[in-house]
Amino acid sequence: MASVSFKNIEKSFGSTKVIHGIGFDIKDGEFMVLVGPSGCGKSTLLRMLAGLEEISGGTIAIDSKVVNDVESKDRDIAMVFQSYALYPHMTVADNMAFSLKLRKAEPKVIEERVSRAAKILNLEPYLARYPRELSGGQRQRVAMGRAIVRDPKVFLFDEPLSNLDAKLRVAMRAEIKSLHQRLKTTTVYVTHDQVEAMTMADRIVVMHDGRVEQIGTPLALYDRPDNLFVAQFIGSPAMNVINGTLRRANGSAHVEAPGGPRWPLASAAGTDGQAVAYGVRPEHLSLAGSGTPGTVAAEVTVVEPTGAETELLLTAGDAQIVLVSHGRPTVNPGDKVNLAVEPGMVHVFDQKSGARLAA
Amino acid sequence: MKLPTLKGVATEAKLLLIGVPVLIWTLLPVYHMFLFSISPKESAFGGKLWPEHPTLHNFEVVFGQKHYYLSHFWLQLWNSLLIAVSVGVLTLVVATGAAFAISRLKVRGGRTVMNLALFTYFIPAAFLAVPMYKTMGTYGLLNNQWALILAMVTIASPYSIWVLKQASDKLPYELDEAAKMDGASPLQLFRLVYVPLMLPSLVAIGTYSLLLAWNEYLYAFLLLSNDRQITLGVALGNFLAADDSPWEILMTVGLIYALPPAAIYYTFKRYMVGGLTAGAVKS
Repeated sequence: MASVSFKNIEKSFGSTKVIHGIGFDIKDGEFMVLVGPSGCGKSTLLRMLAGLEEISGGTIAIDSKVVNDVESKDRDIAMVFQSYALYPHMTVADNMAFSLKLRKAEPKVIEERVSRAAKILNLEPYLARYPRELSGGQRQRVAMGRAIVRDPKVFLFDEPLSNLDAKLRVAMRAEIKSLHQRLKTTTVYVTHDQVEAMTMADRIVVMHDGRVEQIGTPLALYDRPDNLFVAQFIGSPAMNVINGTLRRANGSAHVEAPGGPRWPLASAAGTDGQAVAYGVRPEHLSLAGSGTPGTVAAEVTVVEPTGAETELLLTAGDAQIVLVSHGRPTVNPGDKVNLAVEPGMVHVFDQKSGARLAA
Repeated sequence: MKLPTLKGVATEAKLLLIGVPVLIWTLLPVYHMFLFSISPKESAFGGKLWPEHPTLHNFEVVFGQKHYYLSHFWLQLWNSLLIAVSVGVLTLVVATGAAFAISRLKVRGGRTVMNLALFTYFIPAAFLAVPMYKTMGTYGLLNNQWALILAMVTIASPYSIWVLKQASDKLPYELDEAAKMDGASPLQLFRLVYVPLMLPSLVAIGTYSLLLAWNEYLYAFLLLSNDRQITLGVALGNFLAADDSPWEILMTVGLIYALPPAAIYYTFKRYMVGGLTAGAVKS
């Protein structure tokens, strides 16, 4: 159990700077997810915490003890790799016992810990098998078991589910989360999949181009993204973003988009004539009766029913819009419809800086 | 049962058309060697495909050391074996250590050293024999079997390092990182993870250097001269010094000399298959 703190972390590979001064704290027992597109530096940050990459600048502390110059084996952290990295010439039991054997633990202790981990992960029938005889999900569990037996201060996961098929991924997601709830070990989890981040995290760090875009609980990021990047990255299907011009008149405001549509605003900061990005999530749009004031005219292009909900692709002005309806709207491609925007669920960002306009 | 298709038959026929001549081509000299070894001296050059009176007399002569040139047969066979095994083991130690340092520990300048070592192959080993002779003389190793062992290790190492380095590059690097996180020191990583996974390549390289030393003639001839220290290969060469060479005995010894390499090859063949790293990482 431990807290982790990053202070002003920088990383360069040669003359290329990939991480530009990142700082945040992870609380004891917290499940922290680092998420971002590939190349954003999330894995590098994790590997620096693991001690597999040199730290070019700043400090990393585990339990307030700076570990910059501590070797990874002395940091008391365990890591689960994307490729599992199991030792192919050792059985499942030996794979899990390897770190304890290196630490010269008593055989009794080793056996006890390995069987406890095997029990937690349902690996008991496979202890004598070799990694090549296991399925992907089982290998993944062995990799986790190898981390568990050490009872480390911090667990690190580097995209552990990306090699699994979709169904298994969902199952393992739940398994990792329940494991965390059971062990309460501080966990840092790297993924590029925002759904994974949303479902698993206590808090999420959204990274982009070696910088932190926003840190917060999953719902806080979803409800109040600080900037355009987070707004578009979190949520599936992604938020609709329409570029337009902010117009204020007589106390009311709207965003005028190319092609004519006027997107309503309940309240808004920003000045008249400012170039803004108008963001609204697909589930905050609905179909309204014709002539309803404050609606936006659109044309249906594609209807995608998934059973529980229906996704509509629409064109409003020059913009492509996605709408998610929990009902089963009776519309067909080519239909002219009116879109109502749920008031208060609109996000407005400055077009140039991408920053949220306080509202 | 499926009837063979015309295309299948044609492919088979083509393979046979190439395979059979190659097989005959390869086996014919060996067969003649065998014929010599079971022929009495008089009929050795009889030109028959099978001798009229096949005999094992030649083997008796060889194993009983009953010929002037063969008075140290068993000792020389032992010398060959000792030197070959020493070269195999030493080359493995040198090459494995070097490949591990270059490929896994990524020692600065490692690749340069490897390429420089490979550069020695630009000069034929035969041209280096005299400089090598002089070097060994300087260190007082002439007529000492260490001279031959060290010379052969020198010749075998660059290629061995290169092959092992290529093989280690294929091991997933995450394994090293996982071991590092598990608390392994570089030496533990080498012993507990690297060597077990490299085993097929190590067997291949060990066999290669062992056979290289076993079959070496020039260096063995130059660096060793005492009858009690030379290898059997050099002793065989001495047969040719006589005006009337006992061909049937020479060929008998040759046949015997060829058996250990064949045995070694067949023993280790099954270790030389890959697939040991299956299951390490998903690729």
